[in-house]
Amino acid sequence: MVVDVAHVKRTCFAGLAGAFLTVIFAPSLMGQAVGELTGTVTDPAGTPVALALVTATSMETGRARPAATDADGSYRFSLASGNYRIKFESRGYETLEIPAANVAALSTVVENCELAPVELAQSSTVAEPAQKTAAGSSNKPQEPSLEDLGITPSQAKGNAREQALLDRRAHMLKIHQRLGLITIAPLGATLVTSAFAGGRQTSRTSRDLHAALGTATVGMYFTTAYFAIRAPKIPGTKARGPIRLHKTLAWIHGPGMILTPILGEIAFAQKSRGERVHGIASAHGPVAIVTAGAFGLAVASVSFKF
Amino acid sequence: MLRKLLIGFWLLSLPGLAWADSQWVLEQGTLTYHVSHPLHQFDGVSRAAKGKGICHDGECNFLIAVPVKSFDSGDSNRDLHMLQVTRGAEFPIVSVRTRMPESDSTSATIHLDLEIQFAGQTVEYKQVPFQRSVQGNETRIMGTIPAKLSDFKIDPPTLLTVPIKNEIPVRVDLSWDPM
Repeated sequence: MVVDVAHVKRTCFAGLAGAFLTVIFAPSLMGQAVGELTGTVTDPAGTPVALALVTATSMETGRARPAATDADGSYRFSLASGNYRIKFESRGYETLEIPAANVAALSTVVENCELAPVELAQSSTVAEPAQKTAAGSSNKPQEPSLEDLGITPSQAKGNAREQALLDRRAHMLKIHQRLGLITIAPLGATLVTSAFAGGRQTSRTSRDLHAALGTATVGMYFTTAYFAIRAPKIPGTKARGPIRLHKTLAWIHGPGMILTPILGEIAFAQKSRGERVHGIASAHGPVAIVTAGAFGLAVASVSFKF
Repeated sequence: MLRKLLIGFWLLSLPGLAWADSQWVLEQGTLTYHVSHPLHQFDGVSRAAKGKGICHDGECNFLIAVPVKSFDSGDSNRDLHMLQVTRGAEFPIVSVRTRMPESDSTSATIHLDLEIQFAGQTVEYKQVPFQRSVQGNETRIMGTIPAKLSDFKIDPPTLLTVPIKNEIPVRVDLSWDPM
């Protein structure tokens, strides 16, 4: 078998171009890269303070994110990188505020807090609504409480870790969605250039361009797929609705994205030898069309209401 | 003589004027939020609402609570996304509190002040109109809460980089039975 060195070089170049595109786009897609803010809230005796309200307020956007501490006094946020003001509140304790905490991407910042008790009469009431929800309690006997409805305090209590899991999942799927949309551009260009790469009157340049765009598409595609595959799964969730079609179509465009470049490479070699595309390589076009169609339908299935 | 009779009737009717304590239980409840996006219109429905009303001294206090997870829009991916943006794992229960004079409970249209705890925020909606109808023992309350994402400091989720509308009206259909 004769190895076309020039072609291998071009293909490598195209692969590098695809990777380069991914690297160029990735930082903007991950512009909201997250870091973690965690810590423990205790009283002066070191006893954990459960159900304390911790509020992280972004100093850039002003957006406040609340969380309640667990039974062990711990709290955890997944936050976009930036500076945050952190406020700790709990009934019977003095409110404490940390004026600035810097959360960097992909890092964990620990901010522990010791709350000083105050006289009940002086206690802050700012956190009361959130604590009412978490504890499900009601002060007045003539007002129904969550317990009256059969909702136990454990059912009403938040789970910061599950929220962090949901945040991470949403973040990765957002990148998946954006990369998927960006992938449509090289995919469309590859399909357009196929008209000049596969006919009788084709030039080496048009075939190279087609191969380069195809390689970039495959690179972008698998980067897109990575973010969907690696997104955390939420236990107990059964797929319902259009997402089922979206996932099912991956079984068509996924293998297609592997098969298409392999068949394309064979077709390219045959063309370069001056032969007509024949044998299994003649399936390159149909496989590519089915793959692109399944990919387009997968995007549409979660974008439009049918 | 007539005056004495009137005074006698008035004295006899006094115990009836004092409001007796009573309780209501939510027999069946449906809460439906509506989301608008240029490409999508969808509803998320929950039938898992629980509620109770306690009437005392002529005033009734009602509490309705719904797990955030129980809202179903027909798409599990979308429901998980809504759960994430509404901080549903950290604040798993939406609760609605309202109080009204017991005498209002017979009007066909009632206007209620609602205190809603959702996504870690407590928001009050004043004078929200509800339609009231009675069928046998059952009292049905229907209306729409004019909720907005910004009221609860929720960033609108986006689809194809276009955010959904800030308004997410919540239709309420509650059937109450006296306990």
